[in-house]
Amino acid sequence: MNLTRVWAVAYKEWREILRDRLFFTMAFMLPTVIFLLLGYGISFDVEKIPFAALDQDRTAMSRDFLHRFIDSRYFDYKGDVSSDRYLDPLLAHSDIRFAIIIPPRFQERLLAGQSASVQSLIDGVFPYRAEVAKGYVSAIIANFNAQSLARHFGAQLGISREQALIQVSPVRLESRYLYNQALRSQWSMSSGLVMLVLMVTPPFLTALGVVREKENGSIYNIYASSITRSEFLLGKFLTYLLISCLNILILWWLVIKIFGTPFKGDPIFFYAASVIYVICTAGAGLLVSLVVRTQVAAVMLTLVISFVPAWLFSGLLVPIQSMPSAPKIESHLFPTLYYLRITWGSFLKGLGWAELWFDVAALILYAIILWVIAFLNFHKRPAE
Amino acid sequence: MGETTLVSGQAVIKISGLCKSYKKKLAVDTVALTVKRGEIYGLIGPDGAGKSSLMKTIAGVMSFEQGSLEVFDVNVDSEAAAEKIKGRLGFMPQGLGLNLYGDLSVEENIDFFAQLRQVSPQQLAERKEKLLTMTWLDKFRDRPMKNLSGGMKQKLGLICTLIHEPELVILDEPTTGVDPISRRNFWAILAELLREHGITALISTAYMDEAARFHRLSLMFNGQILTSGEPDVICQQAQGYLVQLTAEPQLEALKLLKVRYPQIETIGSRIRVFVNNISPDEALKAVSGQLIGVEIKNIQVFDTYLEDAFINLLRKDPLADQSIKEAIIPCFDNPLPDNQGIAIEAKQLTRDFGKFRSVDHINFSVRQGEIFGLLGANGAGKTTAIKMLTGILPPSSGEGTVAGADMRFAGQLIKERIGYMSQAFSLYHDLTVMENIRLYASIYGINRKIIKQRLAWVMQIAGLAGVSGQLAGSLPMGIRQRLALGCALVHQPVVLFLDEPTSGVDPVGRRHFWDILVHLARVEHVAILVTTHYMSEAERCDHLALMHAGRVIADDSPANMIQALQNEAGQMLKITTDSPSEALSCLEQANIKGSGLYGRHIQLLALDTETVENQIRVLLEKHSIKLISLEARPPTLEDVFVYRVLELENRDQA
Repeated sequence: MNLTRVWAVAYKEWREILRDRLFFTMAFMLPTVIFLLLGYGISFDVEKIPFAALDQDRTAMSRDFLHRFIDSRYFDYKGDVSSDRYLDPLLAHSDIRFAIIIPPRFQERLLAGQSASVQSLIDGVFPYRAEVAKGYVSAIIANFNAQSLARHFGAQLGISREQALIQVSPVRLESRYLYNQALRSQWSMSSGLVMLVLMVTPPFLTALGVVREKENGSIYNIYASSITRSEFLLGKFLTYLLISCLNILILWWLVIKIFGTPFKGDPIFFYAASVIYVICTAGAGLLVSLVVRTQVAAVMLTLVISFVPAWLFSGLLVPIQSMPSAPKIESHLFPTLYYLRITWGSFLKGLGWAELWFDVAALILYAIILWVIAFLNFHKRPAE
Repeated sequence: MGETTLVSGQAVIKISGLCKSYKKKLAVDTVALTVKRGEIYGLIGPDGAGKSSLMKTIAGVMSFEQGSLEVFDVNVDSEAAAEKIKGRLGFMPQGLGLNLYGDLSVEENIDFFAQLRQVSPQQLAERKEKLLTMTWLDKFRDRPMKNLSGGMKQKLGLICTLIHEPELVILDEPTTGVDPISRRNFWAILAELLREHGITALISTAYMDEAARFHRLSLMFNGQILTSGEPDVICQQAQGYLVQLTAEPQLEALKLLKVRYPQIETIGSRIRVFVNNISPDEALKAVSGQLIGVEIKNIQVFDTYLEDAFINLLRKDPLADQSIKEAIIPCFDNPLPDNQGIAIEAKQLTRDFGKFRSVDHINFSVRQGEIFGLLGANGAGKTTAIKMLTGILPPSSGEGTVAGADMRFAGQLIKERIGYMSQAFSLYHDLTVMENIRLYASIYGINRKIIKQRLAWVMQIAGLAGVSGQLAGSLPMGIRQRLALGCALVHQPVVLFLDEPTSGVDPVGRRHFWDILVHLARVEHVAILVTTHYMSEAERCDHLALMHAGRVIADDSPANMIQALQNEAGQMLKITTDSPSEALSCLEQANIKGSGLYGRHIQLLALDTETVENQIRVLLEKHSIKLISLEARPPTLEDVFVYRVLELENRDQA
């Protein structure tokens, strides 16, 4: 290993990036842009669901019932309609996500001790959101029923409403959420996206850096000189590692400052693990650069091999445990799963070496395998 | 370079039975070659002949399948073996500055190569200074590589390849796309550096006229070496003579001669025929005998040039011969009358890019039926001028007219009468030949009724029969350029603009291309404006304008330009000695001006040839340098080009 030659390559690469405005912007802006777009764009909190009501009863009780929806922070009341004809177009244009219809004689039937059906129309295009909306509606109705029952019993037995309420629903759920007390999905998404961005951008830059030389022919300077394969790969990589190391810090800062996510773990552990992860993902980019010849192909292939595991097999969207067995096994073949555990562990759970050593070890192993494959397949005397 | 002492018997490169293929295509086909220490060895051949593949395998940057390759007595049969030779070798791949780094400055590029090659800082400083001064790049050391001209890029590439003082350099087409002056300059520098350090060089080129600069060379075609040897010896292999004549009417004479002599070309008003296997007198007789009913005005016999020898050798190869076969060229649907009107005119045409004046008040005019050549170094403003005349770029001042219409305001009607083939003419590489033509036909809105007929016409005029189903990307350069021409002709334009249409194309391909141009001009009376770096092509134009730094510095017919130089500066003396470089320094000390090393010869222009000749004889005798031959010849067009531009540059510097 000759350090002069490693340095020659790294220094040349660095100056080229500094002068190439497009590449420079891409190196530092791309991670931030992807991060912010996805961070703001994806929220799994279902709040302020727009809705409209059709009150065909118009009595004190129906208004009381409706107000339980109107006053909820989960719903956004858009207004009343006078006929169910008007609901369809509103739903179709996504002006509202659900509608509630109170039938005539709602109060009369309830007071007479009969049941009354309330209809709700929910936009089912996005099933997850529809399910959550249905859950809210059911909860509000259950609560309404319990209170009606309590009022009824209270009046009959001559006890206070509070006491009657305890009688009606004797088991009560007390749940406390750990690590993310307010259940803000943005906390977990923003920290989880660090995993995604660092899966996508380092291989992107590394692949472009190598393929660029292949495409314009300057790789022949390398082939024709006495620089060894490892010196060249190391020199190339050092530059992109430096950029990615800076990007880790930028992303970290954004997660804390922009999304207000707490960082509870060990910063040194997290940074070290992130650098290992970046070495790993950049290695994937290097592999890409070995099989493609043009920069366009490099971009396409990198996006596919990095976005897919980061989205689907990391546990960011779907918990690994709830996956069918085949994708579950696949998930363990990608580094994203291990690094996501490290990120969430560090940010939200305050974990460190003791708890996450296995995941770090998995990343190290992964990086070694990728780099060995890349090294063995990089030739200074290719067949074409 | 000519120092025989340097060319020792020791072989630096030894190749036998070498084969290299890409998937199914054989690129190098059982090649055998030996390059000796100190030798400048040339590989000449058309695009796709296998030169680059061969050079890459020799440089150890590409593997091969069969045969043996020894470089510096190392048997290069594996990647590990190839590593052993790389420290002693310099390789410059094909493409203008493509292996350099555009965003880095001249100096940073050199520093990178030096670090890569582990040149010590003191040595680097010393060599860099010397090489930069020698190549006149010292003023541009901070300029980013991408902002250099083509010639400068190549010189920088040479510095970067030589910075570690390799024992062997492999240069792949270092002069393609470079103008004649930069080329001469490049060769002079290269020759001096090689001589100084006794470096062995393997160099490929598509320019036949550079062949004289090699000690030995190989002609390559279709992956094989057709012949190898010293340039003079290869010329003699053609075993024939060139007969040059002017006859009236020219077209009739051409027709008569073509029947018997396939190797024929027109140069302005002259016709040049290659005649096989007979003595000069017999050649004269045979050609005259063929021209019955035609008035012969002037007829002369010359020795063959390498280009003719090359084409002649190719003719013996049945595979190559197909590509040169003459075809009957069909006519335009609506032939133009032979009216000799002015087709293209530039009046005080000027274009500024910011503070930089690219084209500076140029004037010229092209008649209908005339082939007009625009010559000039890279960056002289040729492409900008063409862009203004075709209406692509608005002029800063002055006007460019085509068929009398000002191109600034020209409507669609005028534009439909223009054909334009740009420097980087983009064919769709993934479409077949026929699909490309059809696409251009529909872009130009050719009537559906005649489209079939027109496609057939294009295929025929561009000589594309037999390749209609092939992908454009898979064609050799020569045929691809004809396809590009065919696409530019699909609407049968009456004015044709061609910007370096034959750069990098082999002599056979270029001749075929020019035969089509001559036909278009003579028979269809199309006005053609063409730019080129090939002097053999410039000779074939009816009229030339020489551009330098945005201005037209000479505007005349090729013959008149040569005559003017002869009147002004005299004849070209070609001096052959046993040690050319010593002889050159003798002449320089004796203050005999304008002498330059050209291959193994020294050349200089002299008005009073007899006096200068005597002077040289005395001088060489005094330094006991053996004079092998001394002959005077009229200057060539390249001499005109170089003389005129240098004259201006010297004046500018003074």
